Amino acid sequence: MWEQISSNRTRSIVLVIIMGLLLLLLGYFLGIAFFDSGILGLILAIVVWIIMNLIAYFQGDNILLGMAKARKIEKEDYPRLYNIVEEMKLASGLEHMPTIYIIDDPASNAFATGRDPKQASVAVTTGLLQVLNRDELQGVIGHELSHVKNRDVLLMAMCSILLGTIVIIAYYASRFLIFGGVGNRRRSSSGGGSAQLIILIIGLVFMILAPIAAQFIYFAISRKREYLADASSALYTRYPEGLASALEKIASSTNQLKSANNATAPMYIINPFRKQGLRASDLTSTHPPISERIRILRSMAGGASYKDYNQAYQQIHKGSNVMPPSALGLTEPVPLRSAQTGTAQAGGAYESGRRERAREINDLLWKKDNYIMLDCSCGTRLKIPPEFKNAIVRCPHCGKVHQV
Amino acid sequence: MKCPACHHSMIVIEYDKIELDYCTECSGIWFDAGEIELLLDTTNLDVINQSLQSPEARTAEKERRCPTCGKKMEKRKLGESSPVLLDVCPNGGGLWFDSGEINQFVQQLPEKDSGAISNRILSFIQNVVKPANQ
Amino acid sequence: MDIGIVIIVIVIAVVLILIFAFVGIYNGLVKLRNQVKNAWAQIDVQLKRRFDLIPNLVETVKGYMKHERDTLEAVTRARTSVQTVANAGVGERSKAEGELGMALGRLFAVAEQYPDLKANQNFLALQEELTSTENKISFARQYYNDSVLTYNNKTQMFPSNIIAMMTGFKAGEFFEVTVPAEKEAPKVSFS
Repeated sequence: MWEQISSNRTRSIVLVIIMGLLLLLLGYFLGIAFFDSGILGLILAIVVWIIMNLIAYFQGDNILLGMAKARKIEKEDYPRLYNIVEEMKLASGLEHMPTIYIIDDPASNAFATGRDPKQASVAVTTGLLQVLNRDELQGVIGHELSHVKNRDVLLMAMCSILLGTIVIIAYYASRFLIFGGVGNRRRSSSGGGSAQLIILIIGLVFMILAPIAAQFIYFAISRKREYLADASSALYTRYPEGLASALEKIASSTNQLKSANNATAPMYIINPFRKQGLRASDLTSTHPPISERIRILRSMAGGASYKDYNQAYQQIHKGSNVMPPSALGLTEPVPLRSAQTGTAQAGGAYESGRRERAREINDLLWKKDNYIMLDCSCGTRLKIPPEFKNAIVRCPHCGKVHQV
Repeated sequence: MKCPACHHSMIVIEYDKIELDYCTECSGIWFDAGEIELLLDTTNLDVINQSLQSPEARTAEKERRCPTCGKKMEKRKLGESSPVLLDVCPNGGGLWFDSGEINQFVQQLPEKDSGAISNRILSFIQNVVKPANQ
Repeated sequence: MDIGIVIIVIVIAVVLILIFAFVGIYNGLVKLRNQVKNAWAQIDVQLKRRFDLIPNLVETVKGYMKHERDTLEAVTRARTSVQTVANAGVGERSKAEGELGMALGRLFAVAEQYPDLKANQNFLALQEELTSTENKISFARQYYNDSVLTYNNKTQMFPSNIIAMMTGFKAGEFFEVTVPAEKEAPKVSFS
């Protein structure tokens, strides 16, 4: 079941190939239109694509994590998060423990990167850690690790590089056109029959349509991978309600992620830009609508298998499949489990409230920043930054003077 | 983090699970976005929400820059009887109370909706600025 | 003459195809068997971790829970019996481990009644560690059982079953929770 799901991505791969062809055609026709040579255009398109690839390959992860101001976390820093990631690593059968990062941001979101499962990373925002309880966090981490396990990260990286190349080429071609490159060239060339005019027009049409088409394909692939990751998360945790309620909490969070941009959007668990656009319509979003994802997860009544997810999906989409047929072949029932949060065994350390979690996470970050912690006898805790110059500090609550 | 009013480096204080940035020089208080959300979650301080949605107030008070993003903060009126002038980060980074402002705000609260607000939190906020007033 | 060559070519082609199919299926089986072994190793690591954490837990809890000697002793006893079946088969081991898990569950349930204990940082850290180890065991078991299922299907279904039989691939054993109560965490209310 596990092998099949990761190898069965034919539809996504066909779409990637179509995007590649789109890039080549764009290069070819623009080559003819601008340089009288389709081959030159092709070569240029490929060169731009290779450069983009090299940049992404050598710095991909660092760019992504650096952009989001992520900080690496060890087990001692935050055992609970580390444990949850390890739990999901075991459930997904990943061989290597991913590196964990925390992003200091009140918005709730999470993403995974890494071009192969051997060196993957998963990053979560402090806002997310605050809002979610253990079951919910498990669901989110399960979703992210399934992106790693299903090699979505690589697939989406390939897609976004292709999309980026197409957009860049089309953009510069239109610039070139506006500032009069093409007009002069046309006039000076000999003859200029109607055939060439047609090719020029085809080139222009491509220049306008290719980026749009590529974007649509990109969104289609991305949405499909999101559904699959939700289904995998349900399968790993055996508890779809965890992810459902996490998505609900994330959706209601009022903060927008500060450090996301267009290139990194599909890596997140929910679209970080959802508030900028109007209601994200079906075809122009990297993520399916959250309400729908929640509805599917919540209607998985019978079990936690891909088959159950597919059935739940069918209830909403009138019979169309979301899972590849091979994933539905095995019919061993997968039972659901009940919530951990709140049971007697799970009490105490499991379900600490939101504010306790907030303190825990902030203290962790302060310590990483070398803040000095002073506990005043009145119950106030003073956290002194390293750049604080004064030798003494007065507790603002009780007025007691402390040495720094 | 630097104090938006006097540019001295601020310390963080935590009491009863609430955390805020405090300037030891001018006793101003900074609530970051996450802390406001927590506060609004556990209390019914709708007045703060109303204030955040109100139009920008015109005032002669000195402009301050947000300590997290560096953008110019907007002035907002908070409270009705004797309003306080808040500085609000335009990017939703947080809000700033000058010295004494938070006391002034808290003192006029109980008249309206004392039952709805968690007393622990208010007493802390009130107490936090005590030495500055002495 | 010509027909003879055609037949020879066909025979060679068929033999080649068979060899390739054989090698392919055989490699597939080996890969699955390794996956099962790896998955088992993952469970083992977690079981060992739980085993090692228990003395620490008992030591921490002892001072607080003077009236719960039975509960504590049950944990220690279950731990010892896990040790005695360490080299036994999957079936026997899963039974002993299941009982240990249950004894621990009861201990944590009882611990809820001791507010002092629940304020102890050391205990909280151990509780997080042990509860998570418990989760890890069940997640690793989940993956192990799925791997065994896939592997067993391969060894029993045509045509891979022929090769499995010829080269001696035996069906894997599931890691079942034999103690029924462990399937659901004990629910205790203190109202």
